[in-house]
Amino acid sequence: MIKKMDKKTRDELIAKADKLLKYETDKVITWCSGCGNYGIQNALMRALVLEGLERKDFALFFDIGCSGNGSDKFEANTFHGLHGRIISTAAGAALANEKMKVLAFAGDGATFSEGVNHLVHGVRNNFPMIFVHHNNENYGLTIGQASATTRCGAKMNGTPGTVVIEPINTLQFVLSLDPTFVARGFSGDVDHLTELFRKAIQHKGFAYLEILQSCPTYNRTTPEDWYASRVKYVEDLKGYDRHDIWAARKLAQDMDKEIYLGLIYENTGRKDFLSLQSNRSGVKTALVEEVKHYDVKELI
Amino acid sequence: MNRFSIKIAGASGGGLLSTGDIILKALQNMGFYLVAEREYPSLIKGGHACFHITASEEPVYALREEVDLIMAIDSFSLKMYVDGLKDGGILVHGQERAIEGKEALEKAKAKGVKEVHLPIRTVALESGGNVLMSNVVLLGMMWKALGLPYAPIEAEVTERFKNKPKLLEADLKCLKAGFDRTEKIMDIKIPKKVPKTILMEGNKAIALGAVHAGCRAYFAYPMSPASTILTYMANFAEKTGMLVKQVEDEISVASMTLGAMHMGTRAFCATSGGGFDLMTETVSLAGMIECPLVICIAQRPGPATGMPTWTCQADLDLAIYSAHGEFAKLVIAVGDPYDAFDLTQHAFNYAEKFQIPVMLLTEKGIAETHWTIPMYEQEKIPIERGLVEGKELAELVNEDRYRITENGVSKRWIPGSSEAYYFANSDEHLEDGSLTEDAEPASKMIAKRMRKMETLLEALPEPEIYGDAKNADISFVGWGSSKNVMKDIIGQYTEKGVKVNYLHYSFMFPLKTAVLKKFFKENGNVHLIEGNYQGQLGNLIEAKTDLKFKGRLLKYNGRPFYLNDLEKFIDANK
Repeated sequence: MIKKMDKKTRDELIAKADKLLKYETDKVITWCSGCGNYGIQNALMRALVLEGLERKDFALFFDIGCSGNGSDKFEANTFHGLHGRIISTAAGAALANEKMKVLAFAGDGATFSEGVNHLVHGVRNNFPMIFVHHNNENYGLTIGQASATTRCGAKMNGTPGTVVIEPINTLQFVLSLDPTFVARGFSGDVDHLTELFRKAIQHKGFAYLEILQSCPTYNRTTPEDWYASRVKYVEDLKGYDRHDIWAARKLAQDMDKEIYLGLIYENTGRKDFLSLQSNRSGVKTALVEEVKHYDVKELI
Repeated sequence: MNRFSIKIAGASGGGLLSTGDIILKALQNMGFYLVAEREYPSLIKGGHACFHITASEEPVYALREEVDLIMAIDSFSLKMYVDGLKDGGILVHGQERAIEGKEALEKAKAKGVKEVHLPIRTVALESGGNVLMSNVVLLGMMWKALGLPYAPIEAEVTERFKNKPKLLEADLKCLKAGFDRTEKIMDIKIPKKVPKTILMEGNKAIALGAVHAGCRAYFAYPMSPASTILTYMANFAEKTGMLVKQVEDEISVASMTLGAMHMGTRAFCATSGGGFDLMTETVSLAGMIECPLVICIAQRPGPATGMPTWTCQADLDLAIYSAHGEFAKLVIAVGDPYDAFDLTQHAFNYAEKFQIPVMLLTEKGIAETHWTIPMYEQEKIPIERGLVEGKELAELVNEDRYRITENGVSKRWIPGSSEAYYFANSDEHLEDGSLTEDAEPASKMIAKRMRKMETLLEALPEPEIYGDAKNADISFVGWGSSKNVMKDIIGQYTEKGVKVNYLHYSFMFPLKTAVLKKFFKENGNVHLIEGNYQGQLGNLIEAKTDLKFKGRLLKYNGRPFYLNDLEKFIDANK
């Protein structure tokens, strides 16, 4: 059951339609028809507009893969980096200019294979940024190889027979790292995803957002309707406490029958990385505003 | 005697560092110019280590392999270092039992060495100190053997332990006992005046250069011999307000540095060859998106783990040919802590003005070696960022970012500072950063980026000549720490009536050749001096020009060039 945007929000969005259109590209989009990236990009644009962020207020950092190929199809300050490194690059950017919201996007390969160490330390350090994992359970841009989230039994390019190694339970992994914000959305539910993006933008610290993303070309194991018939919402769970790590971990265990979406876990008690830097407490400027000669006499 | 050299040898972690520091500080306060290298294995405790110090009334830059005096803190170092003592030198030790170091002492005897010995543990205990203070007894003995006055060393020991009055009292008694019970052997002249110098090591100089240049973020993963740059940055952080962060690996270090630079601050990182291997993909990205990046490579002998705590100049090729694809880059090499302060600032300016990655090379032999140098001149080098600022920001259009220009340099502005925006795209792109794989625009963009290499080459300073520019009996071309040994040698041979000169490269790549060609024309006997096996700079020069070196002085055993290496080579080739 898809979550619909409330009327008030929809009206607000309609009123700000010109701002939305500003981010639209006139270039040819290279995603396949039915790709989950359309919905994700749409939700992102809406969230930015609803949160009142202008172009000067945010920067988007894209990893390599199908998601990354949208980097120049979003009319704003974007960065298209190297495979597996976008968390680090975006973290450096976020620390340099805390006055801009930094959002980073990556697929399965970057998040759980080539760059998994950066994910571990990004969460651990609680860098002030949003990280979005496009989980489409395969490597799309290299034409359908298995990823760390591909399910057993799937027949994938480059894997003899079928996939025989169990996938990583992504949220369990992240929840084990003492995160401060863990949410899951679905590319087929743009309204709900918009809300999750908004919450992530409001979060101070490392916001981890996983998006279950349909890949009509290469992921035939869990297509759009497979997810649509299984997703549930934590908002509908009576008495669910999103501050309870064990409740979150219990919820995250099921990847097959009832797949929960929403803000699954939040810890507002842990400070973000910048707030923990004692030598910068009370500093009002961002690092980008501080480049000048510094007297070194006292350091000698 | 005007110039003398000593080695303080002992177990790593056995108080050697603090003893070395006390000696250096005392000598500096007396007005001596100093070079002091730390030699040690890649261990924290248990290995041998030594401070190799040369002091002189005149400025001094390099070391000689054999020293006038060795102070051996334990029997192991006696054995390890006795060969480094010159014939007729002085051996200061404090072995309690004759059996310890017997072999070494026999060796020393055969060399005509003067032995200065006291049972230092016993003396320390007798003087009211503890066993740990036997080093201080030894220090007093050494000081007296050198013929130096008591007051300066007393002052420095007092300074060192002033916050521990009880220890201080005992330490001073131990020092005095060692001093009083030793005969004066050498008769070192005290400098007539005390020059204004600072005692500085290469890594600290680089850290200070970065701080002065307005670097606001330092990212690191520890690796010898770059690690102390992180230590300095962390220790400075309270005063500088710099963001200093040790991160999970060198890949992340380079990525975070680049991300911070992209946003418009100045960020910096340092590593050694192995760590830099991991960073090279980011160097390539910096080349592609034309984002400034400054990475310091502190060289140690490789391949692989190699010799982590020893020195070399073997990563020039690594820096020049690092990373996939063709793009403009700059390689700079520091030579000593004085030029390191300036060159680090230049590195940031060139990186930003030309929007390129800059590799700043140093060496273990510079990184952790102390020199007395003049105080730095601050604000001599303006901060040049090459950024669009002020009113012009309103006139920018997206396509300005990677505009195809004649000199290859396009406009750069801080993201968010203008209505104009762009895609920093690791894919080949058009002028606003939009992806393209079309043949014509791709080739135009590649050529634009490469044109920066020519523009940069024009802008770079020529190499510098030491000694008379022409008609030398023997000439050398080199880079990095070779400058130090050459400066000493030129002075030494001038006194002997032999003309030696030296052409020194700080800006290594792209290679400037005008002064080099003139140097070859005006000098008939030009040799290469390099701390690697292949002669990497030599090969570059011979490939880029029709010049040919008469000979090559190459060293690749982890040790720096000593004066005696040069004497041997010059005497055979002059």
